[in-house]
Amino acid sequence: MEEESGEELGLDRSTPKDFHFYHMDLYDSEDRLHLFPEENTRMRKVVQAEMANESRGAGDGKAQRDLQEEVDELVHLYGLEDDHELGDEFVDENIPRTGVSEYPPYMMKRRDPAREQRDWRLSGEAAEAEDLGFGGWGSAGQCQDLREAYRYTHGRASEEYECYVIPEEEDEEEAADVFCVTCKTPIRAFQKVFDEHKEHEVIPLNEALESAKDEIHKNMYKLEKQIIEMENFANHLEEVFITVEDAVAMADRLGKFLKTKTDVEISAQPEFEDQTLDFSDVEQLMGSINTIPAPSAPVINPQVPNSATGSSVRVCWSLYSDDTVESYQLSYRPVQDSSPGTDQAEFTVTVKETYCSVTNLVPNTQYEFWVTAHNRAGPSPSSERAVYMTAPSPPIIKTKEIRSCEEAVLICWESGNLNPVDSYTVELTQAESPEASGVTESVVGIPTCESVVQLQPGRSYIIYVRALNMGGPSVRSEPATVHTIGSYFRLNKDTCHPWLTISEDGLTAVRSERRTPARELSPSDTHFTRCVAVMGNLIPVRGHHYWEVEVDEHLDYRVGVAFADVRKQEDLGANCLSWCMRHTFASSRHKYEFLHNRTTPDIRITVPPKKIGILLDYEHSKLSFFNVDLSQHLYTFSCQLHEFVHPCFSLEKPGCLKVHNGISMPKHVTFY
Amino acid sequence: MALKQISSNKCFGGLQKVFEHDSVELNCKMKFAVYLPPKAETGKCPALYWLSGLTCTEQNFISKSGYHQSASEHGLVVIAPDTSPRGCNIKGEDESWDFGTGAGFYVDATEDPWKTNYRMYSYVTEELPQLINANFPVDPQRMSIFGHSMGGHGALICALKNPGKYKSVSAFAPICNPVLCPWGKKAFSGYLGTDQSKWKAYDATHLVKSYPGSQLDILIDQGKDDQFLLDGQLLPDNFIAACTEKKIPVVFRLQEASIRKL
Repeated sequence: MEEESGEELGLDRSTPKDFHFYHMDLYDSEDRLHLFPEENTRMRKVVQAEMANESRGAGDGKAQRDLQEEVDELVHLYGLEDDHELGDEFVDENIPRTGVSEYPPYMMKRRDPAREQRDWRLSGEAAEAEDLGFGGWGSAGQCQDLREAYRYTHGRASEEYECYVIPEEEDEEEAADVFCVTCKTPIRAFQKVFDEHKEHEVIPLNEALESAKDEIHKNMYKLEKQIIEMENFANHLEEVFITVEDAVAMADRLGKFLKTKTDVEISAQPEFEDQTLDFSDVEQLMGSINTIPAPSAPVINPQVPNSATGSSVRVCWSLYSDDTVESYQLSYRPVQDSSPGTDQAEFTVTVKETYCSVTNLVPNTQYEFWVTAHNRAGPSPSSERAVYMTAPSPPIIKTKEIRSCEEAVLICWESGNLNPVDSYTVELTQAESPEASGVTESVVGIPTCESVVQLQPGRSYIIYVRALNMGGPSVRSEPATVHTIGSYFRLNKDTCHPWLTISEDGLTAVRSERRTPARELSPSDTHFTRCVAVMGNLIPVRGHHYWEVEVDEHLDYRVGVAFADVRKQEDLGANCLSWCMRHTFASSRHKYEFLHNRTTPDIRITVPPKKIGILLDYEHSKLSFFNVDLSQHLYTFSCQLHEFVHPCFSLEKPGCLKVHNGISMPKHVTFY
Repeated sequence: MALKQISSNKCFGGLQKVFEHDSVELNCKMKFAVYLPPKAETGKCPALYWLSGLTCTEQNFISKSGYHQSASEHGLVVIAPDTSPRGCNIKGEDESWDFGTGAGFYVDATEDPWKTNYRMYSYVTEELPQLINANFPVDPQRMSIFGHSMGGHGALICALKNPGKYKSVSAFAPICNPVLCPWGKKAFSGYLGTDQSKWKAYDATHLVKSYPGSQLDILIDQGKDDQFLLDGQLLPDNFIAACTEKKIPVVFRLQEASIRKL
């Protein structure tokens, strides 16, 4: 039919084989009752609508849309869309939600009883138009047709039930004889003559029956075919829907499937065919299937900072697999200048844990460590080599060389280690209450073997020093005690004139009667050469310093201060780099001078001091001398102290003088 | 006794005042200068007595010396009395500049017509301190004395005759040995008569020889080029020698310049 072909043309996609159009040819045109004119026009409209409406079903492409169009056509074709109730009842997840009109494949629709009855009651054209249009295909229409057919033949249908009621024997008495084609109802012969049927065509009843039977059979056949084809259609539709919806998921699996595809066919080269196969590997593998493999190499950890002592380190490692391990073997040797990583281990330790504290090591030394894991199958490969370092030995404070004043201390020490360390730490606590745990102050990161530490005046401190390297800190050194009362210094033997002897405690200078032969001294020497003098090592901290010198009344001496680079070939006070008080005793007379740059004021002192107090005040640029016993001020220099100065002492005749340290400034001194 | 303020001037944060009063010892009106440092506003301060030399009044020191800054910094109350009684109308008191008016020599005269008024020693060591202690914020335990020339002599003898009374004594170009110098001989013979034993009681050098030895701290500055030194009026060496022998601590500074004429 033209209509169908029209619609065929409209659908231009490749059709699956089974998916063919359900043509109107299903029904022979001759058989076709004039019930389709409406459908035809309707369908034409549908097709046009579908053609026009190409925006529908976006996303899935033309196939989807075409499918949908076809479905719609069929819907329209069979009048499915008339029955809106059909759509409500239908639930099928497989249908893609693109606006395809739903259709019920096989549903036995329960029709409105009223309508049923109405249908049944209909006669004539009304009934025709309604029912014979094959409006509801499948069940409803089918039933209806059969009912119709049956009605033609004989009997009444039940008014209440959808069933056929076979007329009973007693009805035969009133059975009809002939069939009125026009009215399509069996009538009695005599009824022909009545007005109702006068003009109507009449045929014998058995003929009508036969033709009705034929009709029924034909229709049934067609309907059965329809059913089958619709079933097929529905199947295909379902398949398509499934395929479309699962396309993405299927693609994954398909992709995987494609990837894992292996070559099944390996063509063997002819020459390989002769080769004898070695099965030992296979045997080994076969054997190892039943036994565990040797472990994989452990990973040795870098040294945890501050975890070492002077004689031990704690080595740790890890195993990053599930291998069975029965024990670990840790090997090590001291790091030497020869190429690392190739030499044999000097020591080996076997442990069960993944750590080991290795003892009996040398302080401040680097050791190379590596570890292997062992089980029944054998050893693992060796781990990387890690370098661990022992902590250093403690330093040794040079207690004799400690210098201090009221506000600071200068400590120096010996490293205590042959090799260099990274830095030193000075720790100090106040000594007042040694039992109580006081605050420990630490000065860290000291690069050299000396340090100046700020302190509070009038206290006592205990000081320790530690050495530090990669492995951690050493233990504390032996302590040293510092008192921040007055200033502490020692006479520097490196400066003293050869005729002077300095005592062990560094506080007494003695000039003996006997003149020791002067040794050869170069000009750059640090020793005094002309003045029989010695310099003290005062802490290089500004502020004020006070010390006392004990002298003999009849002693010729000079006491004072000088810059560190004062010319040692000259007398104290003879240049501008030194200041001193000079006493000479001659002819029973005491003579006192206060010398700087060779000049002195004219000063008479009636009572010769036995103990001289010397106040060095950087802040006020003053150097004062006192008679300690009398609390008498003797003299004050005003001196420009642009650099640090050191106490100086000189003996111009045999005798001795003694330095007293650690004395806090007497009150009378403070006035100056 | 009532003090009459004559003047008051702000100076280095403190106050320089001059008072007048009726002196009991001297039987006349006497003026004296007092410097009150800023610290005196809040507490008692040490007292430093200054004795001027020949021809001076209470004004010389406060005008010429420039001591105020130091006094202010150190918180010292400085008292400067006159050098002799004034307006007594004694015959001959104005005849010479080195005897009588302005030349009291810090002695208590025993001879007429001087003995009624010329009692500077008692005035300086007794009456004036009592007056100061009662009327000004001074610490009675902390007192020192210094002076120049005749005043230096006065400071020395006051300290030596009163062991422990003064914490320190300093002198600028003092007359150290008056019994041996022309000034001293003239003054002592006029005020004390001819008995030289009475003179020694007011001679520092002699007093040192019999000093009982209480702690003393003496500082003497002397200008090298001082004419009076060269004229033998001052005689510090005698004093030093005596102190050396007696082990009285003295620091004697012979300065380059001359400290003369205050």
